[in-house]
Amino acid sequence: MKRSRLSFWCFVAPSLLAFIIVVIIPLFFGIYYSFTDWNGINADVNFTGLRNYQKIFTDNHFRGSFFFTLKFTIVSVLIINLLGFALALLVTRGLKLSNVFRTIFFMPNLIGGIILGFIWQFIFISVFGAIGEYTGWNSLMGWLATTETSFWGLVILMAWQLSGYVMVIYVAAIQGIPGELVEAAQIDGANSWQRIRHIVLPLVRPAFTVSLFLTLSNSFKLYDQNLSLTAGGPARTTEMLAMNIYNTAFSFNRMGEAQAKAVIFLIIVGIFTLTQVYVSKKGEVEM
Amino acid sequence: MERQRRKMLVLSLLLVFILSFSMIASAVVVDVFQFKVETKDVLEKAARLYMEENPGVEVRIQTVGGGDDYGAALRARFASGNEPVIFNVGGPQDVEDWLAYLEDLSDQPWVALAYQGVLDGVTVDGKVYGLPFNQEGYGFIYNKRIFEKAGIDADKIRTFDDLVEALDILEAKKDELGLRAPLAFAPKEKWITGLHLSNVAFSQEFGDVLTAYAAKEVEFKYGEQLKMLVDLQTKYAYKPGGLAATLNALDYATQVEGLFSLERVAVVQQGNWVFNSIASIDEELAANIGILPIPLKGVIEDSIPVGIPMYWAVNKNRPEAEKEAAKDFLNWLYTSPTGKELIINEFKFIPAISGYDGLKPSDPLGQDVLRYSEEGRTMSWVFMGYPSGWGEQVLGANIQAYLAGNMTWDELVEACKQEWAEARK
Repeated sequence: MKRSRLSFWCFVAPSLLAFIIVVIIPLFFGIYYSFTDWNGINADVNFTGLRNYQKIFTDNHFRGSFFFTLKFTIVSVLIINLLGFALALLVTRGLKLSNVFRTIFFMPNLIGGIILGFIWQFIFISVFGAIGEYTGWNSLMGWLATTETSFWGLVILMAWQLSGYVMVIYVAAIQGIPGELVEAAQIDGANSWQRIRHIVLPLVRPAFTVSLFLTLSNSFKLYDQNLSLTAGGPARTTEMLAMNIYNTAFSFNRMGEAQAKAVIFLIIVGIFTLTQVYVSKKGEVEM
Repeated sequence: MERQRRKMLVLSLLLVFILSFSMIASAVVVDVFQFKVETKDVLEKAARLYMEENPGVEVRIQTVGGGDDYGAALRARFASGNEPVIFNVGGPQDVEDWLAYLEDLSDQPWVALAYQGVLDGVTVDGKVYGLPFNQEGYGFIYNKRIFEKAGIDADKIRTFDDLVEALDILEAKKDELGLRAPLAFAPKEKWITGLHLSNVAFSQEFGDVLTAYAAKEVEFKYGEQLKMLVDLQTKYAYKPGGLAATLNALDYATQVEGLFSLERVAVVQQGNWVFNSIASIDEELAANIGILPIPLKGVIEDSIPVGIPMYWAVNKNRPEAEKEAAKDFLNWLYTSPTGKELIINEFKFIPAISGYDGLKPSDPLGQDVLRYSEEGRTMSWVFMGYPSGWGEQVLGANIQAYLAGNMTWDELVEACKQEWAEARK
């Protein structure tokens, strides 16, 4: 008994220690700095109470960032998961090329966010621009120059990158459904839509929980794609929360205020993701 | 037998390790953390040459790309405890922020050689904290061949109206000249508008960088003239979708490489630092370019802004030996014959200190900047004295909103004034 406890701690301690050092301690430091006027360099740090938090509620850019991020998250979570699920259904139908398709759909996910951003920037600005010039369609010109086109640019980029990833999760879930269940339904006369609706969907609920969580938190915390595709432009209207926090800290040198924003950000992300996990867990069915 | 051999191997490896460590330990290490990506290779070459002359010193160069990134990376570097000996500071704001780390360099030989005013930004209470990298200047860079073909005499362009006239001619003849538009404007890069262009107006409002740095408020005394410069560039710029708003997606690479270097436009607002990018695309074009003044109508119309982009600083908290070696390296680079040769011919710098007689910049843009300096047709750089982030994230971002039609100029002025006052409270 004693021995197993020892080995328990032997295995847990290293990662626990790492977790405490890189997550827990910085978290408390961050909370402490959110009550100060630290500029990120100076040693003299003054306690300012709740002033940073008060400032945030009158900060128009932060409010703008919040609603932009929220809008982006809702739209991209929907699109990524619908697309991912559709792709998963497609590649589990036993087509000859399904393995090839799986690889292709998953591939965008292997490219880093910054590079993806630059690739899509080239597509939206230069490729769209060239096509627009050739065909005379003005709607293809000047992408990423307005808030709307930048918004859809980001959504397209994220959908392209992440739907392959959630596809893999859905594929695993769909393959985990016992074949006899589907077969039985088929014999009972259920058509393919009915099979998806009443057999597949309820049984992949756990995969939905996981994928929604991943895409939700990913979209909320998005930074690198945002940086390389639009860099917050035009006029800081596509600056998401993470970038707003970074700019406050490193462009305006207001580390304390940025920390306060980060604390609020943590709470917001926590509320959204926990609610989502709770709600979607409730609907899961056991086999 | 096998065992013995293994033992020998381990021992000899150990010996190699100890030897190499002791060799490193015996040299004084000068850690350099710098921002100028364009001259990274040359700086490394300079470090090699210096180490050949001074065997007891090892100079290690680390470069992190320009602009915002450098400031954040530097902070991260200091926070990690792995502090460099030589690093870069930009101006009064940086000096104030980093003062606890800055070594007093007033006793260095180059201080006496510095040109009038170039040390102002890094002088606090009579103490000098930085060695100026070089002088840089910017204005409207123009294509001499196209100007000639269009029959425009660039030397005669001395006022705002002259410039408008020249651009009108280019606009009228653009099909014949093979141009898409007279000029390229890249407000996506907020430093082009928020720092460089705005400097033309604010250098006249404040006079010098320290006044700007001390100012509690900004007046926009020449706001109307600044608006004219923004509108002028917008009017004659190549606009991808035909609307002013589409300029907000036009970046530096498109402006300088995609449009100017391929001779699709004849004018861009840029500085002498673009020479190498243009030369790497079209050597012949690069030999045939010059700088026109940026005219602030009715105030100062025939000058270009010339200033110091960055300063070298020495970290006060490092051991004495390292600091001495660091100072010696900087001194060697800027005042020894070998160093001077490198500065002019390889770095292609326009030095901010005297003593370079007989050495002239080899590229036409550098020569032009020098010519403006010698003729006294310059204005100072004050944007290093704006509140942190104000130039790019406030003014530059608001100019984008103005171009997109989401903000009027008056609203822009109000918003920018407010943010300035807020930051300086």
